[in-house]
Amino acid sequence: MSASQTNRITGKGLIDRRKPLRFTFDGKSYDGFQGDTLASALLANGVVLTGRSFKYHRARGILSAGSEEPNAIVELRAGARREPNTRATMIELFPGLEAHSQNRWPSLKYDVLSINSLLSPVFVAGFYYKTFMWPSAMWEKLYEPMIRRAAGLGRASDEADPDTYDKSNAFCDVLVVGGGAAGLMAALTAGRAGARVIVCDEHFDLGGRLLSETQLVDGKPAHDWVRAAVAELRAMPEVQILTRTSVFGAYDTGTFAAVERVADHLPKPGVHQPRQRLWRIIAKQCVLAAGATERPIVFGNNDLPGVMLASAVRTYINRFGVMPGKTAVIFANNDEAATTARDLATVGVRVAAIVDSRPQPSAAVRDAAKTTGARLVSGVVADAKGRIAVKGARIVPAAGEAFDVSCDLIAVSGGYNPNVQLTTHQNGRPQWNETLAAFLPGSSPKGMTVVGSAKGTFSLPDCLAEGAQAGAAAATAAGFSAHVPQVPKAEAESYGVVPMWRVKEAKHKAFVDFQNDVAASDIDLAEREGYRSVEHVKRYTTLGMATDQGKTANVNGLAILAALTGKSIPETGITSARPPYSPVSIGALAGHHRGKEFKATRLPPSYYWAKEQGAVMVEAGLWMRPQYFPRAGETDWLETVTREVKTTRSAAGICDVSTLGKIEIQGADAGTFLDRVYINMFSTLGVGKARYGMMLREDGIVLDDGTTARFAQDRFFMTTTTVNAVKVMQHLEFCHQWHWPELDVQMASATDQWAQYSVAGPRSRELLAKLVDAPFDISNEGFPYMAVAEITVCNGIRARIYRLSFSGELAYEIGVPARYGDSLIRALMAAGQEFGALCYGTEALGVMRIEKGHVGGPEINGTTTAADLGLGKMASTKKDFIGRVLAGREGLKDPSRPALVGFRPVDRSARLRSGSHLLPKDAGNFASNDQGYLTSVAYSPMNGHWVGLGLLSNAASRMGEIVRAYDPVRNGDTLVEVVSPVFFDPEGERLRV
Amino acid sequence: MSSLTLTPTNALASALNSSRSSVAIAVLDGLSIAHVAARKGQSAALAARVKELFGVTLSQTPRIATGSNVSFVWAGPDQWLAMARADTNPDFERDLRGKLEGLASVADQTDARALATVRGPNARHVLAKGVPIDLHPKAFPAGSAAITHASHIGVLMWLSEADDTFTLACPRSYASSFWNWLTESAVEFSPAVGE
Repeated sequence: MSASQTNRITGKGLIDRRKPLRFTFDGKSYDGFQGDTLASALLANGVVLTGRSFKYHRARGILSAGSEEPNAIVELRAGARREPNTRATMIELFPGLEAHSQNRWPSLKYDVLSINSLLSPVFVAGFYYKTFMWPSAMWEKLYEPMIRRAAGLGRASDEADPDTYDKSNAFCDVLVVGGGAAGLMAALTAGRAGARVIVCDEHFDLGGRLLSETQLVDGKPAHDWVRAAVAELRAMPEVQILTRTSVFGAYDTGTFAAVERVADHLPKPGVHQPRQRLWRIIAKQCVLAAGATERPIVFGNNDLPGVMLASAVRTYINRFGVMPGKTAVIFANNDEAATTARDLATVGVRVAAIVDSRPQPSAAVRDAAKTTGARLVSGVVADAKGRIAVKGARIVPAAGEAFDVSCDLIAVSGGYNPNVQLTTHQNGRPQWNETLAAFLPGSSPKGMTVVGSAKGTFSLPDCLAEGAQAGAAAATAAGFSAHVPQVPKAEAESYGVVPMWRVKEAKHKAFVDFQNDVAASDIDLAEREGYRSVEHVKRYTTLGMATDQGKTANVNGLAILAALTGKSIPETGITSARPPYSPVSIGALAGHHRGKEFKATRLPPSYYWAKEQGAVMVEAGLWMRPQYFPRAGETDWLETVTREVKTTRSAAGICDVSTLGKIEIQGADAGTFLDRVYINMFSTLGVGKARYGMMLREDGIVLDDGTTARFAQDRFFMTTTTVNAVKVMQHLEFCHQWHWPELDVQMASATDQWAQYSVAGPRSRELLAKLVDAPFDISNEGFPYMAVAEITVCNGIRARIYRLSFSGELAYEIGVPARYGDSLIRALMAAGQEFGALCYGTEALGVMRIEKGHVGGPEINGTTTAADLGLGKMASTKKDFIGRVLAGREGLKDPSRPALVGFRPVDRSARLRSGSHLLPKDAGNFASNDQGYLTSVAYSPMNGHWVGLGLLSNAASRMGEIVRAYDPVRNGDTLVEVVSPVFFDPEGERLRV
Repeated sequence: MSSLTLTPTNALASALNSSRSSVAIAVLDGLSIAHVAARKGQSAALAARVKELFGVTLSQTPRIATGSNVSFVWAGPDQWLAMARADTNPDFERDLRGKLEGLASVADQTDARALATVRGPNARHVLAKGVPIDLHPKAFPAGSAAITHASHIGVLMWLSEADDTFTLACPRSYASSFWNWLTESAVEFSPAVGE
């Protein structure tokens, strides 16, 4: 044993003394052992002061030995892995561990800001609301930064997290939450029946309280029984044990969330090992055996280092072989005082006094006092004495004078709160039990059974029996044949709690919520100021709102509130516990989905080629599309886009349009089906032809547009806009499955099947002629505007060719199976070289469609009708179609509805901005004068000035009118002329040549 | 001419197949794939025709059925993906369309999907990182199929009847993200990766 570990008890504990570990705390080196937590190792080295508190910078030590720890909150590791607010009680010691105390400056012992403690009248409940209110401008600049610096909760690393996080799904018949006595029995019983069992425990070893107590199970030390039980579970192929795993949320239909700290106990994760793993567990049945959390008692200076929960005292002695003090005072309202006194005395700690707040100390306590030689006092500990550590206790007996006792440890037990949190995540309300002075599970989520101390069962034999019964019942409910086994023997335990929430004799600040520095006096103040609902008090005082979620604070707080308001505890009620049960790092929630992998990315077939060309990419939904292809010497995007438009309109331009949605629609009734979903007629479309179509939502608003081609009598090929591809497919499936299941229609998404390129411009025919295989006739006569054909290109590769145009030029779309997409773009560019062809991106595509007055996403925006877009005449009057009836609503036919029209600046050098509001020329810029807005604008290379499309009231009668385009966001105010939305080739002559 | 056919093997692919890694990931290429959807009222006739042509009983539940040269994996009610080796079935879609004329609509999906296989003792652990369904042998026995997602990317997946190999088919355009997820999920297990 290392000489430094002065408080280590020889021969005691479950630590591995063959594996000493060196670690540092606040820069000082210490030794501990494998199997220690940082908390137990610090205590072994006599370190009791571990941090300063959040608001008052009061000295704090180690209160607990579990995940409820509100005090011993440290910064762990250094550099990129530095992590604030980790609980020393949950950190496993590893070689080279580096931890720092938080909230102190310049040092833990001499903390300058502990003067806050003297200023505590300023920092009372609600101080945020009262003190820093005026002037409001100073909040952001001065008050908040100041408060944040002073009341810090540690420092996160500024560097990127170097570790990876993982997510996984798991399924089981029985999920057992908590591997203590009840949980182990449940898991063994269900596992023996053959059920798929997952056992989760937040600690690194299963066993729970059995590792911390001296009880015998079947005549053996409890941890020996645990070891055998774990070995049996490990041998079962259908049982999965997840240690270091906190189940932090219970969701619908048996879904649970858990975080596994895979590598948090290592200096750094192994190669390719994730740091943490988020589990989504789907369980048919759940046995909640989450145990109970011991409550502190609210007395003066109860936050001093050296005040420790009695259960933690026993854990440090029995599990870690650490003496948490030399002279102890025990203050309890239940029989845990007796067990604690015995365990302390056994390892040589002098028990100076047992202070029992109950009207009559029980026989068990009287007996323990006698055995340990402790002075038994019926009364209370009113105050802990000492400045940065416990030096004594001021005891006020029920009868007689107050007196002081010297001690360095006050072991406190205010009774137990069952860990019912997971039962409340589905709106279950805990029920107050007067006898146990605790909230017990009320209704639990379907399929969940609560056992053991989580249910208020505090005697070991009962816990084992309940676990066995619940395990058998859960396995049976999951369809297995299970029977309740013989339960191992253990001695019954007494409890006998009588509430003691707050010591009224306290002279010093008495804390309720240690982590958020909420004292009993803050609850007094809140009540005086009218905050009497438990929800209000929580928010006003911040009680229970720290990272520990008030596990040691909430019930004490509401009991104090109940006393103040003269109500009972059930009348006062409890705030709802919501997920997560314990802190979860954001990294675990993100898992693999960070950086570029935040969302899935879809790559069009020409992606890798476009990257080679230096294309600038743009995210279009999930797609990465080339936005434009800059060339050396070009100074901005507009120059590039202008060149792309001019070249396309004068020679040829190629654009990857594979992102458009594509749907194969087949069947004898495919034409009828299309007639019903499109506003215009498709059943009359000839084979080998395509037609532009528009479809409406049920409410008459435009859903999407695109072209649909007919390749055979019973085989159509629909295209949708990129953004609406999925929505349209869903719509069609819904229409078919729900409205017209009688139709013979079959659909298949073909979006990813085809690499499709638009080839536009006066030289496009010559270009494509070099690729198409004989005998296909690509001449204007052989393949006129809106013709389609199934052909082959480049010596036998299947292809589909469409004579369609979005740019307004002579244009084609050519589709090949997607695996040839990369090859085809290279072939097209090679073939186009002699014509000066180029590839253009989404910007030039947008400019050319605006020049042609074609509607796009900004116009088909979920508010416009076909008539608004100038396409009302497309709607067939010879048939019914989805959206027809509701499109006829009065409001939608109102002529003053904003409709599509074009705009050009009166001053031709002026720039237009999309989103600009349209106001009458001489009208003020008031919302009441608003008559519409510019939807799409572009610099038109063919016009030499900016042009725009927009929606304007009474548009049809206002041609030539000058209106104001007002853009308060970018300080734009431009006069524009109302013109036709077609700015280029209005007769469409270029299309048909 | 002999009725026996010879098939070539790739030396490194053979090495991958006999790898001792706990999980092996491979790109699956060289399949012709077609979507087959029964025409209205023709399910029984289609099933009979497929049985007659390929010796395969079409499954009405999420499963894969494999004949001598063609597999049909369930892809929805009255829908299947038919798969065959591309080298011997270059015109698979058109052949099927002809053979199933009047009984089914056929659409080429050869290029619409990117396929990968995952196998080995840790295959289920790898897949569980993104696939939200139960892949335990009791819940997803050999020959099972599912339309689900992997790391938010839609997949059609199945477990082969012959060996313990999972095949996942994602939309082609998602291939890069899918592959990043799959390899990142497997890296913990030192996977063998191959084409």
